[in-house]
Amino acid sequence: MNNLALMIALPLIAAFLLPVINRVSSLAARWTGPLVVLVTSVIGIMAWTQLGANAVAIELGGFRPPLGITLYADQLAVLFAIAVSVGTLLLWPDDGEDRIRQSTLTLILAASGSGLALSGDLFNIYVLYELVAVVSYGLVASKGTPGSLAATMRYLIVSAFGAALALTGIALVYQATGTLNLAQLSQLAPTHLNNMQGLAAFVLMLVGFGVKAELFPVNTWVPEVYATAPARVSGLLAGVVSKLALLIIVRLLVLVFHQPEALQIMLVLGILGVVTGELAAWRARDFNRMLAFSSIGQLGIMFIAFSIPGQAGIFAGLAVALHHLLVKPAMFLLAERWGGSLAKLAGVAHSSPLGAALFILLALSLIGVPPLPGFWAKLLVMINLMAQESSLYTLGAWIIMGGAALEANYLFRVAGSFYHRADGQTPPAAHRPRDLATAALLGATLAVGMFVIMPLAEQLEGVADQAADRDHYVQTVNPEALP
Amino acid sequence: MQRFTSALFLLGLGLLITAIFQHMDFTGTLPIAGDAINAAAAQQTGAANFVTAVVLGYRGFDTLLELTILFTAATAGGLVLGKPRAGAKHDPQAGFILRAGADLFFPLLLVVGLYIIVHGHLTPGGGFQGGVILAVAFFLPLLARPGTPMSHKAVSLIEGLAGASFILIGLLAMFGGEAFLTPMLDKGQPGELLSAGSLPLLYIAVGLKVGSELAGLLAHMAATEASDA
Repeated sequence: MNNLALMIALPLIAAFLLPVINRVSSLAARWTGPLVVLVTSVIGIMAWTQLGANAVAIELGGFRPPLGITLYADQLAVLFAIAVSVGTLLLWPDDGEDRIRQSTLTLILAASGSGLALSGDLFNIYVLYELVAVVSYGLVASKGTPGSLAATMRYLIVSAFGAALALTGIALVYQATGTLNLAQLSQLAPTHLNNMQGLAAFVLMLVGFGVKAELFPVNTWVPEVYATAPARVSGLLAGVVSKLALLIIVRLLVLVFHQPEALQIMLVLGILGVVTGELAAWRARDFNRMLAFSSIGQLGIMFIAFSIPGQAGIFAGLAVALHHLLVKPAMFLLAERWGGSLAKLAGVAHSSPLGAALFILLALSLIGVPPLPGFWAKLLVMINLMAQESSLYTLGAWIIMGGAALEANYLFRVAGSFYHRADGQTPPAAHRPRDLATAALLGATLAVGMFVIMPLAEQLEGVADQAADRDHYVQTVNPEALP
Repeated sequence: MQRFTSALFLLGLGLLITAIFQHMDFTGTLPIAGDAINAAAAQQTGAANFVTAVVLGYRGFDTLLELTILFTAATAGGLVLGKPRAGAKHDPQAGFILRAGADLFFPLLLVVGLYIIVHGHLTPGGGFQGGVILAVAFFLPLLARPGTPMSHKAVSLIEGLAGASFILIGLLAMFGGEAFLTPMLDKGQPGELLSAGSLPLLYIAVGLKVGSELAGLLAHMAATEASDA
C-alpha cells in the first residue's frame, strides 16, 4: 500500500527526464508518458482491490504527523487518483506543436492530480493545487492562437486570485490551531474553529478552491477557456480537475468545518451556479460554450448535493460527480471537430451518424432520462434534498428540476438540428478515429453502467460511508499530540 | 453590470476581512508545530539549520512539488514563447566594462553559489538560493554578449538528471522498505559539513535543478527577438 506514493513519484520522474529521453530517441519519448500513466493506473487499481473498509495513512519521509506530511488513502481518494491516471491516459495529447512539452505537462498533471486526491495535509494540498493550476495554464495555452492566449491570461488572473484567497484561508486555520494536518485539525476544530474565524477561513477556501470547481462567482474563465483550449484539455479540466477541487472542499467539510452556515453558503452558491450555468447554456450559440456553461450547471448540482449533511450528501454528490466525469470529456471530444457555431451542425448526422448517436446518448444521460445512470444520480440528489427540513434544500431540488428542463430544451434543440436537412453547407470535418473511439468507450461505459446500477450504487455507498467517517480518518492517521 | 458585481464582490471581501480582524485572537495560541520541530529537528534529521530540516526533511514532499512548479512554469513558458525567427536581430554587444566585469564575476558567482548550496544544512541558504546565484553566473555573460549561444543540450541534461536524482533518492528509501523521501545515510554530528544524511545530496540536486532551470528560462527569454525600438 506504501507504493501509492509511486502514483505521484513515477509521473514526476518521467516528466523531469522526458526532455533528456527525447534527445536520445523521440520514439521512446513519445511512448514513455502513456506507459507511465498506464502503470500508475494499474498501481491504483491494485490498491483499490486491496483496500477494504480500513483506510491507510502513508507517512512521507518517515516523520510522524503532524510534523511530517501524510497521504491518506481511503476508497474515495484512490478512486479519484485512478480517475486522474486513466483520464490522462485516455486524453493523452497526440497532436499539435511541441508534443514533448505537452506530454511533460500532462505527466505533471497526472502526478499532481493523484497527489491532490491522496494528500492529508492542508498546505501540501495548496502546493499541489498550485501545481495543477500552473500545468493547466500551459496546457490551455498550448494551441498558441491569440484567442487562447487571451483566455489563458484571464484564467491565470482569476486562478491566482483564487489561490491567494485559499492561502489566506489556510493561514487563518493555521493561526487558530497551529497545525496543518487534516486529522489533527479535525481533533482541534470543535474547540478552535467553531467560530467566525473558522467560517471566514472556510469561505475563503471555498471560493479559492472553487475557482477550479467552477463555483458560481469565480467561474468567469470557464466559457472562454473551454472554447479556445484543445478539446482534450477542456475534457480533463471539466471532467477530472474540477472534481479534485470539489474533493478538497468535501474533505474540509467532513473533517474540519461543521458549522451549518458553511453548508448553507455552499448550497446557495450551488443554486446560483445551476441557475446561471443552465440559463447561459440555453442562450449559447456556440457548441463549446454551451458545453462549458452546462458544466457550470452540473457542478452547481454537485455543490448542492454535497451541501446535504452527512453520508447521504457525499453519496449523492459522488454519483453526480462520477457521472459527469464520464460524460463531459466524451462531449468535449466530439466538440473537437464540431466546435464553433451551433448552426454549422445542422444535418451533421448524415455525415457522422456515430458521433450524432453518441452525443444523443450522452445528452440523454446528462439531462437524466431513465434508465440511464444520469437519471439515478439526479434522483438520488432529489430524494435526499426532499428529505431535508430546511426550505432552502427544497428550493435546491426545484432548481435542479428547472435546470433539467432547460438542459432538455437546449440539448434536444441541438440534437434535433443534427437530423435536419443540410442546405448546401459543407459538413464539419470527420472526427479523428482516436477521439471518436475514446468518446465511444466512455459512452459504452455509461451504457454498461445502466445495467449494473444497483451493485454500483452499493459500492459507491460504501465509499461514501468511509469518506464520511471522521473518526476513522483521525484514527488511521493518528497524529501525535503537540506540546 | 460588471462594475456592480465587482463592487459587490469587494464589499463581500471587505466584510470578510473586517470579520476576521474583529474575531481573530492575536494574543492566543502560538504555532505549536514550531516548538515541536525546534525540540526534535537536530536529533531526527541531523541538520544544524532547522529551516533545512523542515524544507527537506519534514516537508520534503512540498519542496519536490515546488521544484516541479518551477519546472512546469519553465516548460509552459517554453511552449508559449516559441522560437525566434531565423535572422532576427540581437541586442548589440555591451561595452568593455560590462563584458570584463561579467568575465570577472563568473568564477566568483560560481564559487559563492556552490558554497551556499553545499552548506545549506548548516547555515541559512541552500539549493534554491544557491541555484539562483548559479543561474546568474551563467546568464551574466549572455547579457554582456547577446547572441552567444548557450548549450541547451547541457542545460536540459543537468536539469533532467538533477530533478530525477531528487526523486531517485526518495525512491531508494522506498526500496529500502521506508516511506518515500525518508532521509537516509548517517546523520553524523550536527554542524559538521558531512552530516544530516542524505539532505545535502537533496539540496545539491535542488541547486543544480534550480540553476539550470532558471538559466535556461532566462536564456530562452533573452533569445526572443529584440524589439525594433
